Amino acid sequence: MSKLTEGLTYHYLSAEEPPTREERIEACYAFGGSCSTLKTGMGKGCTKFNSRKFAQGGGCQLTLALGIVRTFQNVVVIIHGPLGCGSNNLGIAGYSKTSRILKQKKASDNIWLHTNLDENDVISGGLEKLREAVLYAEREYRPDAIVIGNSCTPGIIGDDIDGLLDELSGQVAAKIVPVHCEGFKSKFVATGYDSAYHGLLRKLVDPVKRYERTIPDEVADAAEKDIYSKTVNLLNVGSTSYGDEVELSRLLTALGLNVRVMPLYASIDEISRMGEAALNVSICATHDDYLIGHLKERFGTEYIIDTLPIGIKNTNQWLRAIAKFFKLEDEVEKLIAIETAQLKEALEPFKKTLQGKTVFVGGGETRIFTTAEFFQSLGMEVLGLKSHNFDRFAVPLIDDIDDPEAVVAVAPGQPAEELVILNRVRPDLYVGHTGAHTWVTKLGIPTIPLFGQSFNYMGYSGAFELARKAVKKLQNTTFARKISAHVPLPFRPAWYESNPFDNIKEAEA
Amino acid sequence: MATFIERAKSTCALGGAIVTLTSLPKTIPIVHASGGCSTMLSGTFSQASGYKGTGYCGGHMTPTSNIVEKNIVFGGEERLEEQIAHTIKVIDGDLYFVVTGCQVEIIGDDAVGIARRFKGGKEPVLAANTPGFAGNAFKGYELVLSTLAAEFIEYKAVKDERTVNILGVMPGQDVFCRGNIREIKRLLNQLGLKVNTFFGDGETIEKIRHYGDASLTLVFSEKYGLETAKVFEEKHHIPYLCVDLPIGETRTDAFLQKVGERLGISPPAIAALIAEEKAYYYSYLERFLDIYGDIDLQRYAIVSADLNYAFPLISFLADDLGWVPHLVVINDQLDDLAKKKYELKFNQLSSEAKPKVVFEQHAGQLLKHIRESWPHNKNEKYYNALSPAFLVGSSLEASTAQKIGAAFLPVSFPVTNRAVLDRGYTGYKGGLTLAEDLISALVSNR
Repeated sequence: MSKLTEGLTYHYLSAEEPPTREERIEACYAFGGSCSTLKTGMGKGCTKFNSRKFAQGGGCQLTLALGIVRTFQNVVVIIHGPLGCGSNNLGIAGYSKTSRILKQKKASDNIWLHTNLDENDVISGGLEKLREAVLYAEREYRPDAIVIGNSCTPGIIGDDIDGLLDELSGQVAAKIVPVHCEGFKSKFVATGYDSAYHGLLRKLVDPVKRYERTIPDEVADAAEKDIYSKTVNLLNVGSTSYGDEVELSRLLTALGLNVRVMPLYASIDEISRMGEAALNVSICATHDDYLIGHLKERFGTEYIIDTLPIGIKNTNQWLRAIAKFFKLEDEVEKLIAIETAQLKEALEPFKKTLQGKTVFVGGGETRIFTTAEFFQSLGMEVLGLKSHNFDRFAVPLIDDIDDPEAVVAVAPGQPAEELVILNRVRPDLYVGHTGAHTWVTKLGIPTIPLFGQSFNYMGYSGAFELARKAVKKLQNTTFARKISAHVPLPFRPAWYESNPFDNIKEAEA
Repeated sequence: MATFIERAKSTCALGGAIVTLTSLPKTIPIVHASGGCSTMLSGTFSQASGYKGTGYCGGHMTPTSNIVEKNIVFGGEERLEEQIAHTIKVIDGDLYFVVTGCQVEIIGDDAVGIARRFKGGKEPVLAANTPGFAGNAFKGYELVLSTLAAEFIEYKAVKDERTVNILGVMPGQDVFCRGNIREIKRLLNQLGLKVNTFFGDGETIEKIRHYGDASLTLVFSEKYGLETAKVFEEKHHIPYLCVDLPIGETRTDAFLQKVGERLGISPPAIAALIAEEKAYYYSYLERFLDIYGDIDLQRYAIVSADLNYAFPLISFLADDLGWVPHLVVINDQLDDLAKKKYELKFNQLSSEAKPKVVFEQHAGQLLKHIRESWPHNKNEKYYNALSPAFLVGSSLEASTAQKIGAAFLPVSFPVTNRAVLDRGYTGYKGGLTLAEDLISALVSNR
């Protein structure tokens, strides 16, 4: 159990689709203020229904759901929709392959199909195409699983995909996994994680069958029990690099634990055995509370859902929470003492450059606070944060920011409000999510990525890497200045003078 | 009827509409759809088209009504009106253009009607119905440009005999769009023509407004751009001519002659331009002769591309580089008549061998087609292999090239393992660039 999930329930698996995050978790989508006002705002719960007069591109839960399921080994993904839904697969295919190579998995291609719904299908339904697509996937690729992502169009016209897929699951060897991730259903793209995990929990995680040994062997039984008692599932997410996984596994292994990294990039067989662990460990609450909550309901597996292990403070906190579960409090203090001593010494030269510099961090929710806290610990001043959404999982992190008046903007994507703030506060460095760098660079502010497939940012080695990257960026800030002098942003001059948060329409409480 | 497609090399109509709008000069798309559509669709091209980026107001910057379930139930028209009004306030554009997604089309929002309420304002506001289910990205390109042709471009009774509009070279879907347009324009300028390009260097919305004075539309495709060309024909009385993308010497010669003839340009003037450009072309191509001969750089050529690129690419490989045209797989949907017409093009190839031509929408089937095109090795002592081979396709074909041991260059969309800025493959200069890229792929390990 964890404070973060207090009061949340995990009993949704009998339904075809999960509830949205709007329904399940108090969450905020549009907010502008400071760390201190965000805390009060969340307390009142009145920010949930805020919206915008001028809105910009955000995210689609289908994209996030596919981001999870496409990583599984030997799967075919079918997008039940027109050709546009999930077409970013075209841009991501090479990235996925590189990730597989980096993570020492088989360098296979992503395989995906579109049912390619057209005007006729909108009228008469697209189930026949879905049937053909499933049979094609089975025939051509013999996958371990076929995952179907349902898009807005069949969601609105009411295609009964579950009925068809139940029927087909008797005809193909692959496990068939429907994922309901219709984009219009939720403003909170993180709902897409729940959709993907809902499908995974319903169709891929099987209770493991136990057989009696033919020849009884008490020692082997005891050894097996011993291993299980120390096995943790380290739940990776789309933004954890192989370096992150190696570093976090190294730390847990040092405590004598047996670490399995999953479910991303895992095989269907590995996923089916998710229930065989003593503890599920979350790296990012935003991603996987739904998954581990239900694993607890189903298998009784305890979980740790605490902080995101970036920076010294949060890595220590994360490790202590896990160690406490295994009653390894003394051991973890020894580990932390050794690691932090070595790291702090290594960080000293970087501090000289970073001391007194200002930073602004934009991105998901938990990662931005932990990353900001780390740069603050190196002597940087945190001028503000921009969070794609904000909910209970990040509330405890607000206090990590020293300046209660640091700006906080909550907006999924939607750079207009943030850029006005950035133009005013002019940080020395911006740390941001993919999709943000173009705009911030055009403003003349140097940026580094908040995450990346080849960067290790988590754990102690990650802290070193993050500091190293910031220092490298500050060794030459010419590029952003040059770009900003020659490439315009699309705003009218009056927008820069306005209060950008006037754009947010407060819902009546 | 359309079928399902494995790894379609395109996106939906809305995606095509958005990339078209963000590639027009200072044009602001306003996407009436769910919040994710604009970013994800814009992202498809900003990454998969040689990292072309989001442009002036694409990606997360794209204004969108961001409709949610409530709007699906009660309608999203009010939300759209609010979004248009605020977009004009916040974003500095020369043209605002509303495009729509599946959700709002299914529920029947009248986006075009809402946009019309902004008529008469300082900034032009247009709209088109572009739901994803209307077709692939080219459909969105057509819907946007044909709306411009029908509703924005002014009718001119007097045409300029020396002005042409060009269509069919689509931003994003043609990874080398701007570079390709640049060289086509340069060549036509040499013939004394003024060229309206929509997306090329130096265009403005004000210039586009006056495209109605052209006397001919050139469509660089057998299919894409035709709908818009027909609108130009009906509304502006501008006829059109379909031409192949002129990649390299052979195709550019044919292109200049065809266009010159149609516009009544004097044959000596055309011959003089061709002669001058050819002299330039061969003075550079000549540099390869040593390495080409020394290590035998003639290859069996396999092309997997869309309709616009398939024939011009194999023609370049066969007619300009002297490679053996072996197999052309066209990832496009055509009716039987159009297929037949397209197949006949390959008779123009000057090579002794002619390629096998296959129409195949499933990108994953390429390997199967290659295997079917050549006798299997039945463990013979003397096996005549399909080697050395070169595959020109998209980045989706990288692993197929590896499996058959072929060298590889991605040219056709999607391209994610190359970064493209102003590179183009059209004209004589583009042919040299393509030759450089192909030969570089063959010597890159030296």
